[in-house]
Amino acid sequence: MIFMENVTFSYGKSEICSGLSINIPTGEIFGLVGASGSGKTTIMRLLIGSIKPHYGNIEILGKQPSPSLCKNIGYMPQSQALYEDLTVHHNIDFFARMFGLGEPFHRRQVVERILDNLSLWNQRNTLVDKLSGGQRQRVSLAIALVHSPQVLILDEPTVGLDPRLRASLWNHFYSLAKEGVTIIVSTHVMEDASRCGQVGFLHLGRIIASGSPRELMTRADNSSNLENAFLYLLQEGETK
Amino acid sequence: MTLDRTLAITTRIIFQMIRDHRSMILIFLAPTVVMCLVGFTFSDQEDTLNRLAPGLIAAFTLIFTFMLTGVSFLGERAHGTLDRLLMTPVGRVDILVGYLLGFAPFAIAQAAVVLLVTVFGLQVHYQGELWQAAILLLVLIVVAVNLGIFISTFARSEFQVIQFIPLILAPQIFLSGIILPTDQLPSYFQVVAKILPLRYAVDGLQKIMLEGQSLSGVATELIILGGIALALLILAGYTVRYQR
Repeated sequence: MIFMENVTFSYGKSEICSGLSINIPTGEIFGLVGASGSGKTTIMRLLIGSIKPHYGNIEILGKQPSPSLCKNIGYMPQSQALYEDLTVHHNIDFFARMFGLGEPFHRRQVVERILDNLSLWNQRNTLVDKLSGGQRQRVSLAIALVHSPQVLILDEPTVGLDPRLRASLWNHFYSLAKEGVTIIVSTHVMEDASRCGQVGFLHLGRIIASGSPRELMTRADNSSNLENAFLYLLQEGETK
Repeated sequence: MTLDRTLAITTRIIFQMIRDHRSMILIFLAPTVVMCLVGFTFSDQEDTLNRLAPGLIAAFTLIFTFMLTGVSFLGERAHGTLDRLLMTPVGRVDILVGYLLGFAPFAIAQAAVVLLVTVFGLQVHYQGELWQAAILLLVLIVVAVNLGIFISTFARSEFQVIQFIPLILAPQIFLSGIILPTDQLPSYFQVVAKILPLRYAVDGLQKIMLEGQSLSGVATELIILGGIALALLILAGYTVRYQR
């Protein structure tokens, strides 16, 4: 479903990722976990095809990232990238049209269903400019979901959300995964990472360890939590 | 190119512009104030004003439209919405044509204010048909919109877009025959003037308004200006996907 093999990318002389390999099956929630500057956003941008790898191979749904794949991928960038001077409904409706949902009645149904699913119905006529951080995150997610993509790429989707909202978003991710949507989430929050089916620990553009949260904790000398496992495996990698 | 996507971009831009009441007022107020200032400056020199008017109409149309488009498109890049737009199946032509059509009503309104204030407010004498002058200005607006989109690629802030005015627009004002006829410029500047879009707009407007020529008389200027608009459209298209 999502396949990266020996991918290398650098900005000028600064190597962002090197020899990166990831394989994510259909319906999986994969967490890309690493500190700020570890290369998470670059990997996301490689996956959506906005930048090209210098070496290696990337495949999503059996194809290399290209504009023709856009209609199958939902992308939520770290910066919310919303039209602040438009209402919530107008933002979602505009992107629905960009994704080719041209027929007004069908589009209206889709937009209203998403507003409802993400608890944005009461804010539908509010300008994005007037929303709280959590509400903006949900509008951004709504845009990523509006065309019912098979793959969802979410860059730090829960930053700034309160615990209740975070739990509600994760419930939404689980139900999408059950429907067969493959989700890749970048995060530096271990609580989010522990909710993923599979996790890849990222350090300086390399996956230093990957597996289910439980497997990683076991591998890290039976660490009590994922944060300790990350630190343990990081240290182990450095001493090698 | 798909009509629905293009129209969605166009209507979105028009909606955003109309919602920004202060900008809407300034769009009409700024050219009126500037042209009145020009009129008062030359109130005792009617002949000079008559001679300068076509060039000033073209220059202010280019400046106002360039600023309008450049700053707006930069906002689209800076806020990440362009990146997000490019993650949809929308084509570059959809974006460019959508933008062009979205800004056109406001740019046309500004050009109309400049033209009408100059002709009727300042009582500038002219020959030829005003609608023919308007068609020439319309082609200049297409040039200015594409120039604004293209230049926004090289700016990181609104302030930097403004900095491009002395770099991109000021030479055109000095070398396009507004102040001094182009054939009286030093030979090397005459060569430079040949690639400046404003020069052809000024030449065309002078022929229509001062010599009373028709559109067929300014066909060369219209064709060259159209060619520059097309070249800038292609350049703007290439830079739409450019990541800063």
